[in-house]
Amino acid sequence: MIFWIAAFLYAIGLFFIFAGLYGLFHFNHFYSRILISSKVETVGFMAIMTAVIVEQGLSFFSLKVVLICLLVMVTNPLATHALVRSALKAELPLPEDRDG
Amino acid sequence: MSLPFICLCVLVFCALIAAVRIILGPTVWDRLLALNMISAKILIAIVLIAALTGRSFLLDIALVYALLGYISTVLFARIVRDWRDRT
Repeated sequence: MIFWIAAFLYAIGLFFIFAGLYGLFHFNHFYSRILISSKVETVGFMAIMTAVIVEQGLSFFSLKVVLICLLVMVTNPLATHALVRSALKAELPLPEDRDG
Repeated sequence: MSLPFICLCVLVFCALIAAVRIILGPTVWDRLLALNMISAKILIAIVLIAALTGRSFLLDIALVYALLGYISTVLFARIVRDWRDRT
């Protein structure tokens, strides 16, 4: 039972990571690209970390994994925000058409 | 062939695909974004290797790697803001 729950969570995480890779190559402008890839990457990370916790059970190991998960949950949006702010301050032009 | 091992192999493949965006990327921010994605994948890989081998000191390395990746991304974003030609 635990095996199949972990396999399901691994599959969800890998699916979202592949969706992020698809977005990285599908969109043709930086501002569209950073939206899809950053959000999707965070969801994939959380799903795979949850799968590791389910597989290992409650122990000191999974407590450290929870700590890493909390750290990435705080820092990954901040890094994305710093990137977009840097691009805006350096006057990277916004895309002209809305469907790019 | 356990589950973390299969996941690890797929992640290495994903990191190689994301490295193509570093080579192709038209602006420097695209390269930084792909670098951020690759560093998150390396973080997942370290945790999976720790789960495979059962050594919990690798998780401390993963914690330090997450902090260093965040600091390097913010630092590069601030440095690149003042460059002249951004390619």
